[in-house]
Amino acid sequence: MRKALLAAAALLVAFAPSARAQAPAVPRQGIVCTNGTTFDLTATPGYIETPDGNSVLMWSYALAGGEFQSPGPVLCVNEGDSVTVHLHNDLTEPVSIVFPGQTGVGGSGSSGLLAKEAPAGGDATYTFTASQPGTYVYESGTDPEKQVEMGLYGALIVRPAGHPDYAYDAATRFDPQREYLVLLSDIDPDLHHAVETGAPYHFDQLRNRYFAINGRQFPDTLQDNGVSWLPAQPYGSLIRVKPYNATGNPLPALIRMANVGTVNHPFHPHGNHIKEVAQDGRPLRTPGGGDASSEHFAETIGSGQTQDYLFSWTDQDSWNPGSNPFPASVASPDYRNLTFKDGNTWSSGSAYLGSKGTLPVGTVSQNICGEWYFPWHSHALNEFTNYDAGFGGMATLLRVDPPGGCTAVAGTASILAGTLNSGTATALAAADTAYYKVNSTVSGTRTADWYGGFTGVPRGSTGLAVTYTGRNSIAALPTTLWIWKWSTSTWVQMGAATGVGTSDVTSTRTPPSPQSDYIGTGANAGKVRVRVLTTGTTTNFVTQGNLLKLTYDAP
Amino acid sequence: MKRRDLLKAGALAGGLLIGGRALQGSAEAAANPEARIGLAGTDGHITLPGRGPLYIFGFATVPLAASVGDLVANYKGKAQHVAPILDVKQDNDVYITLTNLGLVGRPDLVDAHTIHWHGFRTPSALFDGVPEASIGVPIERQFTYFFRPHNPGTYMYHCHFEDVEHVQMGMTSIVFVRPAQDGGSALDPLHRTTTYAYNDGDGSTAYDRHFAILLNEIEEREHDADEQIQEFIFTDYDPQYFTLNGRVYPQTILPNNDPSLPYQPVSSLIQANPGDRVLLRLANLGYLQHAMQLPGIPMKVVGEDATPHSFPYVTNTLYIGPGEARDVLFTAPPFNPSAPVTTDARGSYNTYLFKNRDFRRLSNRGSPGLGGMATEVRVYQGSPLPAQTSVGETYA
Ligand SMILES: [Cu+2]
Ligand SMILES: [Cu+2]
Repeated sequence: MRKALLAAAALLVAFAPSARAQAPAVPRQGIVCTNGTTFDLTATPGYIETPDGNSVLMWSYALAGGEFQSPGPVLCVNEGDSVTVHLHNDLTEPVSIVFPGQTGVGGSGSSGLLAKEAPAGGDATYTFTASQPGTYVYESGTDPEKQVEMGLYGALIVRPAGHPDYAYDAATRFDPQREYLVLLSDIDPDLHHAVETGAPYHFDQLRNRYFAINGRQFPDTLQDNGVSWLPAQPYGSLIRVKPYNATGNPLPALIRMANVGTVNHPFHPHGNHIKEVAQDGRPLRTPGGGDASSEHFAETIGSGQTQDYLFSWTDQDSWNPGSNPFPASVASPDYRNLTFKDGNTWSSGSAYLGSKGTLPVGTVSQNICGEWYFPWHSHALNEFTNYDAGFGGMATLLRVDPPGGCTAVAGTASILAGTLNSGTATALAAADTAYYKVNSTVSGTRTADWYGGFTGVPRGSTGLAVTYTGRNSIAALPTTLWIWKWSTSTWVQMGAATGVGTSDVTSTRTPPSPQSDYIGTGANAGKVRVRVLTTGTTTNFVTQGNLLKLTYDAP
Repeated sequence: MKRRDLLKAGALAGGLLIGGRALQGSAEAAANPEARIGLAGTDGHITLPGRGPLYIFGFATVPLAASVGDLVANYKGKAQHVAPILDVKQDNDVYITLTNLGLVGRPDLVDAHTIHWHGFRTPSALFDGVPEASIGVPIERQFTYFFRPHNPGTYMYHCHFEDVEHVQMGMTSIVFVRPAQDGGSALDPLHRTTTYAYNDGDGSTAYDRHFAILLNEIEEREHDADEQIQEFIFTDYDPQYFTLNGRVYPQTILPNNDPSLPYQPVSSLIQANPGDRVLLRLANLGYLQHAMQLPGIPMKVVGEDATPHSFPYVTNTLYIGPGEARDVLFTAPPFNPSAPVTTDARGSYNTYLFKNRDFRRLSNRGSPGLGGMATEVRVYQGSPLPAQTSVGETYA
């Protein structure tokens, strides 16, 4: 479906290259913006899938020429833009679009109660100037008690002029890599079924059964944007952050929340408070113009409202196994006396971020490298369900990744040239007093050449970086680090040689792009190999590896 | 931590108070003072007007030293609702040991329990109580949750195992964190109390009495289905009872540990002397938003979600959504002899109602007469009430 959408967008660009909406370059997670100032939307019917196996007829706005999607595309414009939205109607009754929060909306089409309408098979156009940055919704202005419930809604993002990394102003600066949309909706399938079959529906009989974030119900919310098995629900909502750090990670994530549902939803983030900075596209200010943002562990977002939140995750005590461990009596419970629900867990089995413990035999772990998972969900817990099944519906997860990304240490060590002096790969796990020692060759230009093997590196990992700490038995020898390229079965050198003498030297290297070349597939899935080559003397020597570590950002 | 703070923490630890009074953990002087609390998860029954005993899951306070076998023998089937209200202090090391005692009424059900520390800034997923992302506690097993809370205010705790069910079944309560500022009266403009809602720095959240009140709802069809080994469809949720601390009016005004409500020990009765500054620690673990009023007495909202308001506001109607908390201060008005006056063992008093604005929620199972989510604020003639010694203390 993604491919078709991109192809369609390419066509669209060919016909109208100016400022037409660009099909988004889809990130795996985070907001998926359709950027532009002119958007072509088609009101169209389609089906969404729910995690309990149901499928529900929805009406939605799709990008013209694109596939049906629910919710409609996230329209992203800049403050001051003159925005034009063309609407074509493939439904059998008139539809329209209203833009709550935008003023002076003009346009053309047949006359309607709230907005110009596109008759069945016909068109309408809307124009407005995006004068205020913020998070907004757009939705049907025709027969809204039916059409909005049927799914004719989407998000509109207005970015401050010149500052795409601000929600509003400098106080709302965020990390553009961590911008998330959380669009809440609720579905009474009886209404959808009535529309589908032409059966009567009593509008005072609302009984919502499905509750969605970005058009998906938990656990589908955790899947990447655009996964093939949810063709009509392209937007995921997994929230990912790393711990706040004043120097390394100072900027918060931005959570743009909108409620296009019928009822108010009380949203509860586990883990840390979220800071509400704006409502309905207006920053929260005191009457005197001061900061009136507020921190919450739960906040009700009214039907039709938007709220913007900044979010940083902080461990106030900086617990860590080295310098500040949890009390021994609680840090390492005996997991055999406890239970992991359904034998399948996101738990790392450790009390510490970035560490993994040993889970009981038979427990399947979804945890990659000791990251945290915290649910974010509606605390009207009847909405934390899929119809009759709990742990579904209006929920997603916050994933807190370790500050340095995932870390792997070499699990194996193999010698390419030279002989084993002493030690095993275990000695490479930490920069300590244990060394893995390799005797050089004993003739010609002496060489010690060996590699460490890593396992469990997920496909799609990025930001690979190798750290090697080691020394030699004699003075400075040129040492190079290499990484195995599985596609060509060759070693790729990472950077220039470092002179390594008789005391420990640490080198950090990143391999050239694309990094996917270095993560094995098939029988070698998840394997990475890093080679340490020391050479350039005619004297015998011993190379002594202390630490060989791989860091990466898991997908 | 200064020596003086240590002493205060020690003084605060009055030992375990059972039933309707808050549990203050037993504390010892240490690098960080410790509070240790024992809770058990099990089932039981509570009393509501207009029906037979209602099946619940809940927590009970249990001694820390007892063996699991002794706990099962003595506490299984004796859950209380609302669960014990927990009273801890900022920067203390809080250890809460949860024992799962199993269910008397559903021996077929082998559900685990957890405790989710709702609203705490959680340093480790291990202690977040989400069984899908950390651990669950199976029957006859124990787990100790650890927190060092740094942000005073009003929070909640509840089981997160199949939480749409276990929360509705009654495994819910309030936990509040006293500020480090507590202990001295210098900041109090009236120089008479040593307790504050927050580290306000200026005494603006000083209070003389405080009351922790959990708003909730009971969908009896769910409880009955659970007891009868049936499935309830949670999106059919449409509750019949609206509770404060697990009781409905007029149960709410019975004293703590009233013998007629053995498993609903926590009163919501608010008794005050004129001029008392009263702090309401309010939280909602129902699934509906509630509009609460205190006609005749303005409510000043000083905090929300364990965060002090930089700009407190005064209101007559307070909206509290599910999972949200508010800290509300009011000053008990002077005794008014020309207003309706009632008399009890403590003397004459005026009555104010702290109540839901929605009349449907002021009824017990739809029957006529005041019921549901309401309690009384009694302001006495003279000042007959002694200083409060624990949160929500009632005076017969
Ligand atoms: Cu939760
Ligand atoms: Cu909660």
